[in-house]
Amino acid sequence: MDLIHPHAARDVQAALRDATRDGTRVLVVGGRTHMDKGNPGEVDAELWTTYLDDIVRYDPDEMIATVGSGVRVSQLREVLAEARQEWPIDAPEGSTVGGVIAAGIDPVRRLRVGLVRDSVVETTAVTGDGRLVRSGAPTVKSVTGFDVHRLLVGSFGTLACITTVSLKVRPLPKARRTLVTADGGVELGQRLLDAIPLPAAVLTEPDRVFVRLEGWPEEVREQTHAARLVAVAEVEDDAPFPPPLFPNATIVAEASVTPSRLGELLDGQVAYRASMGVGTAWVACGGPADLAALRETATALDGIAPVLRGPGGLGQAEVPAPQVQRRIKAAFDPAGILAPRRGWDARGDLG
Amino acid sequence: MVPLDAARAELEAVLGPEGIVHGDLELRLFARDASMVEGDAGLVAFPSDASQVVACMDIAARHGLDVVPRGSGTGLAGGSTPVNHPLVIATTKMRRIVKIRPEDRLAWVEPGVINLDLVEALRPTGFTYAPDPSSQQVSSIGGNVNTNAGGPHCLALGVTSAHVLALDLVLTDGTTARLGAEGPAATGYDLRGVVVGSEGTLGVVTAVCVRLTPLPPAVTTMLLDFDHVEDCAATVSAIIARGVIPSALEMMDRGIVQAVERFAHAGYPTDAAAVLLVELDGLEAGVAAQVDEVETAARENGVDGIRVAADEAERALLWKGRKSAFGAIAQIAPHYHLHDCVVPRTTLAEALAGITAIAKRHRLVVTNVFHAGDGNLHPLFSFDRDVPGTLERVLAASEEVVRLCIGLGGSLSGEHGIGLEKRDFMPLVFNDDDLAIQACVRTSFDPDERMNPQKVLPAGARCGEFAAAALARDGALPEGTWI
Repeated sequence: MDLIHPHAARDVQAALRDATRDGTRVLVVGGRTHMDKGNPGEVDAELWTTYLDDIVRYDPDEMIATVGSGVRVSQLREVLAEARQEWPIDAPEGSTVGGVIAAGIDPVRRLRVGLVRDSVVETTAVTGDGRLVRSGAPTVKSVTGFDVHRLLVGSFGTLACITTVSLKVRPLPKARRTLVTADGGVELGQRLLDAIPLPAAVLTEPDRVFVRLEGWPEEVREQTHAARLVAVAEVEDDAPFPPPLFPNATIVAEASVTPSRLGELLDGQVAYRASMGVGTAWVACGGPADLAALRETATALDGIAPVLRGPGGLGQAEVPAPQVQRRIKAAFDPAGILAPRRGWDARGDLG
Repeated sequence: MVPLDAARAELEAVLGPEGIVHGDLELRLFARDASMVEGDAGLVAFPSDASQVVACMDIAARHGLDVVPRGSGTGLAGGSTPVNHPLVIATTKMRRIVKIRPEDRLAWVEPGVINLDLVEALRPTGFTYAPDPSSQQVSSIGGNVNTNAGGPHCLALGVTSAHVLALDLVLTDGTTARLGAEGPAATGYDLRGVVVGSEGTLGVVTAVCVRLTPLPPAVTTMLLDFDHVEDCAATVSAIIARGVIPSALEMMDRGIVQAVERFAHAGYPTDAAAVLLVELDGLEAGVAAQVDEVETAARENGVDGIRVAADEAERALLWKGRKSAFGAIAQIAPHYHLHDCVVPRTTLAEALAGITAIAKRHRLVVTNVFHAGDGNLHPLFSFDRDVPGTLERVLAASEEVVRLCIGLGGSLSGEHGIGLEKRDFMPLVFNDDDLAIQACVRTSFDPDERMNPQKVLPAGARCGEFAAAALARDGALPEGTWI
């Protein structure tokens, strides 16, 4: 396995140009925290983005940060915190900005802070054949041409190597609080979601519910009161959020269904954490058979269940407009050298 | 014109005589949108459901006709202006709100549904659809999707793209794809994200699944007035710097305030150099705290007067002023040219001074009403196009405004799109490689290049040779079949 460790976008260009010429298969790697999300596939070289770690431009008044894709989420958190702002991504410490984007890791607090894809307003990236392309604008709003950068979010590094990205950031909440209830289950989680105005997250497990509240101190007090009308809840202000996710499980799947189907999805499951009002459920699976069963249930509910940690990949599911997806892949990566087979199976009608 | 005649007979067979427009006089009505660019429609079809759209696309494919989708025709960049006698597919008959599912925080609507009709239908459920372009009384969801429409309330909640979970798209080959998902994650590349804001160049949207946003329990609207434009602009940044993100933060200059006041009688201070309309929402206690912060920010920047709406009636009146701005300016001159570009928020004062200077140089009346929190400027040139030479001066001034905004680190368009009007400015912000990959994406959806041709990308923007060759193989390489 070869290692490519570029210091600048032009190094990435040269490396990928060579790889396309030689047919070298390349996996772009950030902080290695989400390596299991995506299908396994053989490669000849890894391209590490961790030297692409400049904070290119950050003006707190604009609430936009332009950074190298190899900047660690933890480093960015520190820089932004000095101006009392955040890129509200709840990813593990070692994650890189580019990795979080390429793996499409949404914030756990998405009810309040939105999706990762909506925080990416501009990207500069190197295509499989070494072209440096920019898309979007470093402004909070822009309808200027085709939003090519949107394709890169959740693309698992199969289209291009992101080198620089402009992110919409937001003010840190003035107050933050986690409530933990003494009881759990989807039904209680739903009642809490319905009762609490504008929570950041309501995460249900079989025997407890984490309610995340963020906002002005007065708001958080009001929300706490509303929660306590529904369930007994302890305040754990200092506990890290989100709490660790099944540290001992060999396989953690990230299932996705419409929010009202979470109860059906999780019926009979014993180790899950479900995001109420969102429809994401992280499920600890004992082995491949459990994963297959979960996927079968998710599919029946029009959902999917890729693996977040452990073996199992993305699973089989239809992709829409497979002919369009294949053409896009071919246009970005004409020789097919970037992360072969890592993304979704778009063979579609080709069988 | 022969293909048009043949296509017309086939379209009539599918849509009935009332489902198609072909007379010269009637076609003139569809020769433009709300921009100044005029084109020429070949035929206009009014499908009433998705299956009729598919039929229209099949007929267009058979006859090699270009296709231009059209919503309510309120676009301001010429995105739905037909060029070279295409088939215009107007979605105005597709007006069903198919289902509202509060339990899943989503609703399915047809593209012709009027934005405000959806908002009204949602109100009893405790939810809303957040993007609220000023045209929301007439503009359609399909049109909003295609321009990635914004609006005053997109500052805190994001533009249309953040509120579209999924959509059905009919491609030029007649196939329909559901892009995105009702649930929180989808498979494949985010084609949904590319279609939103694509100005009808990738296919025809036949259904939209929108995200519902909970209505906030408390809302307060404030009007701040200033003797100096610079103080007003500085207050915008100061509010943000205090960690407050208002749900709306709108700025109006003296010219607009005076026009609006004669029209809406909202009690706006007509002697102010500029006013800020600030809306704050959330929980009641939190809103009160934010009002304090905004007042402090304004006082530190020389605010002259602060008015907090006492009740819903006063709030509605303050908004009536803002939302009627484009009607009110008809008092200044019969025609207007509304610009749309974005600058970094911290350069607002500089941008406004520059725009005033440009207008002066070209002897034009300019007024400004815009989304200050987003840095999204909307300079309005008022003029009489019947006065010889005036239109040319407006266009020259507009180009200077574009160059000014780009020079300040901004973007060509915040929410109206590129269409025909700004197509040739694209090389100001993107180089050949950037434009080539955009062209590749477009061609990936529409290999025949029949969807809304000549829009968005400048002539000559082409998918690169190597990529085009791979694309022509339809990504049929074994590796390429796994995206």
